[in-house]
Amino acid sequence: MTAQEVRLCGLLLREHFGEVVEKVGTHLLRGGAQNLRIIIHETGVPLDLVKKSLCVLVQHGACVFSSGRKGAGSPTEYRTSCDRILRILRYPRYIYTTKTLYGDTGELIIEELLQRGHMTMSSTVKTVADRLTQNMEGQYLSVCINQGLSKLFSLFLKVFLVLRFLFFVEIEYDKETAAVLIPPFLLEGLCMDYGEVSNAFSKLVETHFLQRCPPMVAAGAAASAAPATPATPGTPAAPVSTAPPSPESFPDCYKVPHMTLVGRGKRQLCSEDGEDQRNAKRAKMDSQAHGDEGICWQVNFERFHLHFRDQAIISAVANKLDQTSSEIVRTMLRMSEVTTSPTATCTKPLSANEIFRSLPPSYNIARPIVDQYLTLLVDDPMEFVGKAGESGGGMYVVNLHRALANLARATLESVVQERFGSRSARIFRLLLRKRHLEQKQVEDFAMIPAKEAKDMLYTLLAQNLVQLQEIPKTPDFAPSRTFYLYTVNQLPTARMLLQNCYKTVANLIERRLFESRENKRLLEKSQRIEAILASLQASGAEPEQLTEVEEMITATEKQQLEALRLHINKLDSAENQVDESIFLLESYINSTASTS
Amino acid sequence: MSEVKLKRETNVLDVVEVENRIKELCQQLPHGITDQVIQNDMPHLEPQQRAMVINKLLSLGQLDLLRNSSGLLYRMKDTQGAGKMKGSDNQEKLVYQVIEDAGNKGIWSRDIRFKSNLPLTEVNKILKNLESKKLIKAVKSVAASKKKVYMLYNLQPDRSVTGGAWYSDQDFESEFVEVLNQQCFKFLQSKAEAAIDSKQSPMVQRNSSFATSHEVWKYICELGISKVDLSMDDIETILNTLIYDGKVEMSVIAAKEGTAGSVDGQMKLYRGVNAVIQPTGLVRTPCGLCPVFEDCHDGGEISPSHCVYMAEWLDF
Repeated sequence: MTAQEVRLCGLLLREHFGEVVEKVGTHLLRGGAQNLRIIIHETGVPLDLVKKSLCVLVQHGACVFSSGRKGAGSPTEYRTSCDRILRILRYPRYIYTTKTLYGDTGELIIEELLQRGHMTMSSTVKTVADRLTQNMEGQYLSVCINQGLSKLFSLFLKVFLVLRFLFFVEIEYDKETAAVLIPPFLLEGLCMDYGEVSNAFSKLVETHFLQRCPPMVAAGAAASAAPATPATPGTPAAPVSTAPPSPESFPDCYKVPHMTLVGRGKRQLCSEDGEDQRNAKRAKMDSQAHGDEGICWQVNFERFHLHFRDQAIISAVANKLDQTSSEIVRTMLRMSEVTTSPTATCTKPLSANEIFRSLPPSYNIARPIVDQYLTLLVDDPMEFVGKAGESGGGMYVVNLHRALANLARATLESVVQERFGSRSARIFRLLLRKRHLEQKQVEDFAMIPAKEAKDMLYTLLAQNLVQLQEIPKTPDFAPSRTFYLYTVNQLPTARMLLQNCYKTVANLIERRLFESRENKRLLEKSQRIEAILASLQASGAEPEQLTEVEEMITATEKQQLEALRLHINKLDSAENQVDESIFLLESYINSTASTS
Repeated sequence: MSEVKLKRETNVLDVVEVENRIKELCQQLPHGITDQVIQNDMPHLEPQQRAMVINKLLSLGQLDLLRNSSGLLYRMKDTQGAGKMKGSDNQEKLVYQVIEDAGNKGIWSRDIRFKSNLPLTEVNKILKNLESKKLIKAVKSVAASKKKVYMLYNLQPDRSVTGGAWYSDQDFESEFVEVLNQQCFKFLQSKAEAAIDSKQSPMVQRNSSFATSHEVWKYICELGISKVDLSMDDIETILNTLIYDGKVEMSVIAAKEGTAGSVDGQMKLYRGVNAVIQPTGLVRTPCGLCPVFEDCHDGGEISPSHCVYMAEWLDF
């Protein structure tokens, strides 16, 4: 847990959970495992707030608790780790990926689970159905009447409208967005059915994007279970292991529970406020007996990471070679999704016959051509694909760790190139290939004049991107009698750049908060005016009143607001872009850690 | 008395005879003759006389004295060299010898001093002398600009001293290298694009996008942008810099001896490649390129809230 990581975690906690949780969280990050009393004492936060913060952190999986180190009687200790909190940075990417794979329903399911941490399936389904229904109802139903795909639907809608028209119902047509304004009561039939949402949920579980939370083993239950299980006398009295059990160690991890949940999403109608209150009360009293109590679900981040890694490899192949090769690699990776373990060096061998059969039908390529593409992939110096044998027309594997190493190396080279220029990048790549070189050799190979090459090497050395290795000719390291060799070590440099990435993201978040603070007055004013406008519109005001209210914001203020909005969007998207670099570097570092 | 006279006469006669005999032996055995050989040939010759004759021949400059593992060797010196050195003394001859041995790499004055064991002033005087006689010349080395190496007058300096094709007058020609770099890259890129456009099977496409180093060399020669003749090795060094730029990749294949451009039964093939990833996310932010990244802290003089680079970037 480096200082930069702790700073970034603090900022993320503050944005998502508030300052109290940030205080408690950063204290735990800096201090390691601590019990409740120490946390209260050292942070100065009152007891109940500390308890709530710890609850929040545990709910989101950021904090784990275990019985104390001093034995069974000591109070439970709480521990956080940076990894889980840093995932918060990647939430937009998870949501967007699910949207592309599973549509709006999947997107909302993942969004709910990310916001709540753990949730049961039934509550998730209900909430998502309600949200979807709310989005569907109300003012605008966008219908692209001119699109070929929905011709049938548009025809139906036209008939529907004509029928309704006969009953003198006001239907407005917005020419700009080709949207039809349909009054709410006509939408009675358009609700999100629980079944659809459950289907989407089950699909997510099948592909392992969601997993069950590991059941908690209470310390008291463990003590009583000890005599029951014929444990060897040497086992410690606290059977709860110090490392929390991973969700995958439970066999039911990906089993969808049998759930009785029938119904559809409820719409939020403003006239039904009183009824809503009664509904809420009824919901609380209703014991929600849907058959899945106690089974909470969480997002399986590792699975998303595997998906991102596959995406990165496929796009690298597309950049380097061509589209068809990347399709072949995509097919290979899709086939090995469930058979390859997350830490494997390469996928299981796939025969060329299987690959050919599994190619998407839109690519009707002849079999010999597929073989040629596979041979080219194997011959490529980047070594994305390797050949593992000759049976079945050739057995091919995707070299995952090597691909990650190549991508990390390309990241390093790109950083050097953008920061120091293409000639320094040439020297950097030269040192990566040739490992150890003297200064004279660097000048000769890179064909750069001696003075400039020296300058560039020293700059890279000052930034710690290049290291110096001394090989003495004599036992005293006399400078005139020592070889000085320049070298680049990929792994330590990658770690250093990862810390720089964390610092960069923290800087961007700081800047964003600063910009919002600076313009707080302006933002508040614009919010007030928007609220006034909304209430006026709802109560049916005349256009003159609306324009009068709008003119309360001057033109310069509007410009400032617009500029502020642009700034904040830019900073947000920059955070996501840096997160991509973070992902590549982290995956590379983790892959080397598991093999070593 | 006459006996003594006779002896002296035979001595004089003997000396000339012995000299000629030795010279003949040297010519017979051009690698050199040892004392043993002379003794075998003329067994009646006393060692002192032999030594005297040999010394005389050496001082005349007609014999070369060498040492090998078994003893001393005497070799015939070519008279042409002897003619050149007329009027010079032994020290000069020695220095000249040392410089000649250095061949076309040249030798530094300090090394001459070590090899000849002469004091510095003597060596300098001799070098000036030889230069004025136009027997040796000084060439500036490209490695250390202050260093001068000496070599025989009519020798062509070696590439390591002058730097070869990339150096003109001890200056590295970077623009020339850049131009060659770009030309080679354009050639390989256009070849790769032509291969993609041909829409044939992928194997044929890839193979046709390759160019051997010989082809590139011919193309550059025909372009005529180089005043100096470039060899294939020079072109290969340029292509290597393109590899280090990440624009080109190389592979080696076995080739039949005798096909154009093959060296030791191998040929090097080059082709243009695309980058593997787009510029990474970190460098799209000001922090990734910031020169004062290390000094930036919250609440410090340089901080994210007041960063000038960020302000410019946000308004862009």
